[in-house]
Amino acid sequence: MGKAAHSSSSSIDSSEHPALSSASSSLYHQSKTKRCLSTDLRLGLTLSSSTSLPVHDALSNSGSNSREQPSDWPPLKPLLRNTLAEKGNNRQRPTFFVKVYMEGVPIGRKLDLFAHHGYDGLITTLAHMFRTNILYPAMDGVHFDKDHVLTYEDKEGDWMMVGDVPWEMFLTTVKRLKITGADGC
Amino acid sequence: MASKKKRNSTEGKENLVSPFPDEVLECVLGFVMSHRDRSSVSLVCKDWYSADRWSRTHVFIGNCYSVSPEILVRRFPNIRSVTLKGKPRFSDFNLVPANWGADIQSWLEVFASAYPHLEELRLKRMTVTDESLEFLAHSFPNFKALALVSCDGFSTDGLATIATYCKNLTELDILENGIEDLGGGWLSCFPENFSSLEILNFANLNSEVSFDALERLVTRCRSLKVLKANKSVTLEQLQRLLSRAPQLVELGSGSFSQDLTFQQYAELKNAFNNCRNLHTLSGLWEASSLYLPALYPACVNLTFLNLSYASLQSAEFAKLLPNCPLLRRLWVLDTVEDKGLEAVGSSCPLLEELRVFPAEPVVGGGGGVTESGFVAVSRGCRKLHYTLYFCRQMTNAAVATVVQNCPDFTHFRVCIMNPCQPDHLTNEPMDEAFGSVVKTCTKLRRLAVSGLLTDLSFEYIGRYAKNLETLSVAFAGSSDRGMQCVLEGCPKLRKLEIRDCPFGNVALLSGLERYESMRSLWMSACTVTMNGCRLLAREMPRAKKGCPSLRSHPLRIIISMHGRLSR
Repeated sequence: MGKAAHSSSSSIDSSEHPALSSASSSLYHQSKTKRCLSTDLRLGLTLSSSTSLPVHDALSNSGSNSREQPSDWPPLKPLLRNTLAEKGNNRQRPTFFVKVYMEGVPIGRKLDLFAHHGYDGLITTLAHMFRTNILYPAMDGVHFDKDHVLTYEDKEGDWMMVGDVPWEMFLTTVKRLKITGADGC
Repeated sequence: MASKKKRNSTEGKENLVSPFPDEVLECVLGFVMSHRDRSSVSLVCKDWYSADRWSRTHVFIGNCYSVSPEILVRRFPNIRSVTLKGKPRFSDFNLVPANWGADIQSWLEVFASAYPHLEELRLKRMTVTDESLEFLAHSFPNFKALALVSCDGFSTDGLATIATYCKNLTELDILENGIEDLGGGWLSCFPENFSSLEILNFANLNSEVSFDALERLVTRCRSLKVLKANKSVTLEQLQRLLSRAPQLVELGSGSFSQDLTFQQYAELKNAFNNCRNLHTLSGLWEASSLYLPALYPACVNLTFLNLSYASLQSAEFAKLLPNCPLLRRLWVLDTVEDKGLEAVGSSCPLLEELRVFPAEPVVGGGGGVTESGFVAVSRGCRKLHYTLYFCRQMTNAAVATVVQNCPDFTHFRVCIMNPCQPDHLTNEPMDEAFGSVVKTCTKLRRLAVSGLLTDLSFEYIGRYAKNLETLSVAFAGSSDRGMQCVLEGCPKLRKLEIRDCPFGNVALLSGLERYESMRSLWMSACTVTMNGCRLLAREMPRAKKGCPSLRSHPLRIIISMHGRLSR
């Protein structure tokens, strides 16, 4: 296992405890006797084993590189740890970008459907993006000629009106969006 | 059944204690299930010891080195089911060197002659080779249940032998093992006429199994109650399995993301709709929020939901929870954040256990849950008594509030991932937090502490935690006094795990009397020296002198030292 040299930490006793000193909170991390490991890692300090920092020494067992993460802390079962490490590459929230075109405008936009949680949010975003009023079936209100309607192409290649099916079902089948004139419907 | 009647009629008639015939006593004892109670029973008197001895069919051995297989079979001739634990718990975290021991083979050899009718074997943290599995498959014709948890040393070939030769198998439970995965062919080894399986768990194996074989297996095993598939099983395949086995009570889904057509999605939803007997759900690898709603109807009777492999965000999690009103146990990743935990508080009033795992288990990272999520859960889930909570920050006040809301904690394990981190609001040590835990939660049996801790926290533990059995400590304490307080103050302490603390020989040797009644002590990277260990070894046998030989769990002490040792 070969942990790095562990210097005797018996010198740590409560009378030298940094938190009990009069130093202010921001100075805690710079206290000499005990340091928060995260600060050291952030500052990229390489610490020699002669400093009495049992925390750092103990955790750098995987090599001399102080930035490597130890495999024995935090205490997670190896299976979970490995699974999470594999997923580490997809650390960002999942996204689902679809193309959106407005009738008469050759250049389209792209929109992340996962960033919205329902039709309301989607319509609001689109209305803002394309600066127009967008209608969909659940809406009440007066329709004007200048309004637009939101449609989508589904997995079977058909163009459908947005808003008829539950949001989750919509997400499973939508491929792209189009904003067309209301008079076409 | 081995021959029984050994009534000690030659004994003088002090047998007024037990006026019933042996058969009655043994029958009554048959209802005593807990192994601890059984041990107590055997200590009452010779008759009861004898009755327990002949009637015991299941034995639990918490430390495989505490007794030899020969002694075991001599005492209990009629065992059908054995549970054995090997390596200490810290071996899960790479703190135990390989080849440490705990090999099952020597046990199997003795069992083969003494217990030819052995039916169940449950092993935890033991070394099991393929040869051992083969030996097992051929030595016990009535063998029914094999459960291997956190074991190592075998490969999928060993599983193939079990599948091929154990004609009466009802349970195959392979959980979190260091297994060499040579492919999924083992599943196809179950014979075509084999149909007795009730429990199948291969969730932690990576290789793809033949879906055809799996589907046929599930179809013909009409008593199948538990199926935990691995992530190679797709959503579409899952739907087919569910429609074959709507009677399942525990399901581990495979991968939960796939490009489904609308029709497939509807079929999936329908399949889940027919599975209303589920009380446990796990798996959900890479769960895509797209398909989670398909699950909702199956969650109506759910009591245990394990989402530790699904990185859910708070919104989708909050939508899922109201569908699980009967939830009692919840395991989740901290990707749900405090907001997700607020939803737990409002949707799961019956919750008893909450485990929150870190999606990014790194020191100095960001995100995850904080003290406010913890408090939010405690406000809504007053029955909470078990928690394992990985977080990046915590406060003394929050913990005090949590235990005030939920005073019935039996297991309180909080891991502040940055070692030695103080209360992030006041910058004080976390002593008062754990102090409030031990003062308020009188039923506390297991405690894991973290954050910046001085000896004061251990004083509290020693003074108040009178029911504490297991204590895990890392990067804490200021001096020997800390460990001393615990050893002197906690009468029911059985397992003590310490790493990276300033506890030395004085502390170690102060526990001589306590070690009598403990199962194990682990110390690594503390300031104990070889001299201290030698002293301990010398003193221990002396301390044991007064002990009757009926002790079932001699202490295991493991002290691991690295680097320079001071004299």
